[in-house]
Amino acid sequence: MNPARLDSALLWLWLALLAAGLVAVTSASMELSASRHGDAFHHLWRHGIYAVLAVVAFLGVLSVSTSAWSGWDRACLVLAVALLALLLVPGMGREVNGSLRWIVIGPVSLQPSEPARFLLVVYLAGYVVRHGEAISSSLLGLLRPLAWLAIPSVLLLAQPDLGSVVVIMAAAVGLLFLSGARVLHLTFCGLAALAALAALISMRDYRSARLQAFLDPWAPEVQFGSGYQLTQALIAFGRGEWFGVGLGEGMQKLFYLPEAHTDFIFAVIAEETGVFGALLLCAALLAVVIRGLWHGRKAQRRGATMAAGLAYGAALMLGLQTLISVGVNTGLLPTKGLTLPLVSYGGNSLIVSSALVALLVRVAWENAQHASRPRRARQREVLA
Amino acid sequence: MNEARAIGAWRLVAMTLLLLLVAGGVAARVVMLQGEEERTFLKRQGEARTVRTLTVQPARGVIRDRRGEPLAVSTPVVAIWVNPRQYRSDHPAVPELAAALEYSVADLNARIARSAGREFLYLRRQLPPDRAEAVLALDVPGVNAEGEYRRFYPAGEVAAHVVGITNIDDRGIEGLELAYDAWLTGSQGRKRVLRDRRGRLVRDLEYLATAEPGRELTLSIDLRLQYLAYRELSAAMQQYRAKSGTVVVLDNRTGEVLAMVNWPSYNPNAPVVAQFEGLRNRAVTDLYEPGSTVKPITVAAALESGRIRNDLVIDTSPGWIRVGGNLITDPLDRGELDLTQIIARSSQVGIAHIALELDDDIMREALSRFGFGQSTGIGFPGETSGVLPEAARLPLIDRVTLGFGYGIAVTPLQLAQAYTVFANRGIFRTPSLLRLDAPDEGVRVLDHALANEINRMLEGVLHDEGTAVRARIPGYTVAGKTGTVRKVGRGGYDSQRHLAFFAGFAPAANPRVTAVVVINEPQGERTGGGQVAAPVFGRVVAGALRLLSEPPDPAPLLQASAGGGR
Repeated sequence: MNPARLDSALLWLWLALLAAGLVAVTSASMELSASRHGDAFHHLWRHGIYAVLAVVAFLGVLSVSTSAWSGWDRACLVLAVALLALLLVPGMGREVNGSLRWIVIGPVSLQPSEPARFLLVVYLAGYVVRHGEAISSSLLGLLRPLAWLAIPSVLLLAQPDLGSVVVIMAAAVGLLFLSGARVLHLTFCGLAALAALAALISMRDYRSARLQAFLDPWAPEVQFGSGYQLTQALIAFGRGEWFGVGLGEGMQKLFYLPEAHTDFIFAVIAEETGVFGALLLCAALLAVVIRGLWHGRKAQRRGATMAAGLAYGAALMLGLQTLISVGVNTGLLPTKGLTLPLVSYGGNSLIVSSALVALLVRVAWENAQHASRPRRARQREVLA
Repeated sequence: MNEARAIGAWRLVAMTLLLLLVAGGVAARVVMLQGEEERTFLKRQGEARTVRTLTVQPARGVIRDRRGEPLAVSTPVVAIWVNPRQYRSDHPAVPELAAALEYSVADLNARIARSAGREFLYLRRQLPPDRAEAVLALDVPGVNAEGEYRRFYPAGEVAAHVVGITNIDDRGIEGLELAYDAWLTGSQGRKRVLRDRRGRLVRDLEYLATAEPGRELTLSIDLRLQYLAYRELSAAMQQYRAKSGTVVVLDNRTGEVLAMVNWPSYNPNAPVVAQFEGLRNRAVTDLYEPGSTVKPITVAAALESGRIRNDLVIDTSPGWIRVGGNLITDPLDRGELDLTQIIARSSQVGIAHIALELDDDIMREALSRFGFGQSTGIGFPGETSGVLPEAARLPLIDRVTLGFGYGIAVTPLQLAQAYTVFANRGIFRTPSLLRLDAPDEGVRVLDHALANEINRMLEGVLHDEGTAVRARIPGYTVAGKTGTVRKVGRGGYDSQRHLAFFAGFAPAANPRVTAVVVINEPQGERTGGGQVAAPVFGRVVAGALRLLSEPPDPAPLLQASAGGGR
């Protein structure tokens, strides 16, 4: 690979986000680490190790040609389903906070929903390659991949992990839209999805409680119950003001805000670096996403459908997760257990989101490779 | 491949715009949270959860004796408290915690469970800092520490009554700790602090009021003399198996109390509040009929009024006199006695003759001038002012018995104060438990020459034929008066139960120390003031004169021959 043709902007954004995550996680977790593990740097060390693994995963994915994935798309779907199904095998899964999300094998904890994101991006990209025509012409072509995705979705809901389902399904719809699906068909799908979501929310008491808490987290009956986490996150924003109280100076992480170093890292960042830092972080993540989408478009234009699908899928997956996570932190969305990609503590999330960025960088590199070939060679390829 | 290229660019533009729109919405939300109203609300909510106002306990002022020896000091200790909501009874360190706090595991858990709805419960107070640290090191959730002070009394029971005690919240509840509580307490500081959710201090925000440590209190007590007085009193209590006793030593030139001890006492470092007997500072709270110790005042009043002359000689034969229907007797027929002999031998008959010469008002007015029936002004909590007979006309017998100290009630301190009038050649002063830089001027209540005359009579009490040979102090002339008082029992005066008094001062020529000894219900063969109280007086005042470096009298002729009272 010629390093000169790597998208250096994406690379820098990725590294900057990893570094920001390392700082934020350290700040958010020190008191918790000291109190729970007797070592203030417990989470920092682990996050550092995950970051190294994330770089390894990044380089690994970067070295694989996008076309190499295309034969494996259905295998990826099967693998994703298998991993998620493994949670249901008695004795395999570990329950945390009432959700069955983890498989613990020796020192390694696997959160199947995270690799499932990557695997399902590959599956969707592969589907677009195989059935590009059908997607844009028939409703069935659109519904078929969504129907397949229903299997991992049901398994995710069994955990339960509605947040991941929303991210995956929305990314899938977005990918299909960018790949030419008809707006009318998509509208139909969207309405169906909303209905399903409403049904799911009303099905579970805790979800409607969360919804209620989301609508008015300060209501006396929820303030210290289901609305607690959100109120604490909002207080973090208020305390942070425009430029923050200073790194390490935050109060909310001192056991007031649960999951400060994972799902609610954005609130901690907002408290310590203010609106300025929070929006800068959002802008960086959004830049990765939009740049990724445009790399996808370039790949699409040169006919590299697999590369385009991978780029669209990866960018949308990252983008949606970012928006939902930030939305949850700011109280725009009901509380969901979703990490902020590249920033939150958690090895699985860090490795998978880095791998998704790697897909974008790979697509960009392949685009650059293609552009640098002599015009004739390109024409020959088109004619072939 | 061509169909791929046919996919319009508008889709990507639309998607990008959608993402930007949503992101813009999120950004707008983040910015809106900074709106004036929103932010104020959020910050106030945050502060309501994180900012606490703590009080900072000031150290209580040290109480010292007149020479700077500490009588009460505050040492920092630690209170262990628990937040029952955070406490976990299944924590592995709970048995160790229970042991460290001297509970059984079941008791500890039950106690905390009873307060399950609360957020604060003291588990153990006033732990030494090292033990508290060991408790905190167990790291049981919800268990916290709070600094406080514990009062320590180096002199223990010896000065317990004067100094008093504090309660567990460091407030004075007895003695001078109570009387000067505000002075000693200082002012609480208040500070705003940030606390994490587990109640631990994150940092101090600001001091709303700085803690002013309590001020020192320097007493007039000389601890060395206090020890001596307590030792001698305790010894006498043992020897005579008495019920209680009091010794008060005053510096009569200033009114300062040099020693004030009572028996029984208590250990102020581990007070058992239910022991009322030991808690009382009898020197100021308990009333006694002063008996013969009042006789010099009677004589002084009679001389002052001009009803008698100082060369009066009274024939006390046949050793008794009938007043109204009552018989007043001396132990034996003493024949003719002059005033000095009447005082020295404490003749009831002699005094009765003098008292018969006096009106009610003269006697009552004299007693009042010497401070009886009113507060001494020492400012000690629980002080009683005593009882003088009502102003109405007294029956003859009561007027006569008032002359030898029945029918009135005084505190030992009042008696000591009255005797300072003789010692000071007629000057009356308010006694003080605080060291004085500039002594009170005092008021003259008795003619100087008359006081001198009475003093000579009081010196005679220690002559060989007097009642208080045993109060003598080698090298010094002592003046004083014994008292042996029958106590009031059921149906009148009880011939079995006595009070033994001695009140006096030394050196007689230029008195420095005035003291009163009261022994309540001494048992045994000899229970009179001269036998029981006088020796205690002698030993205590001898020690006082030595400690005060009083030069011996150049010629203590009259009392020297018999040597000491030991």
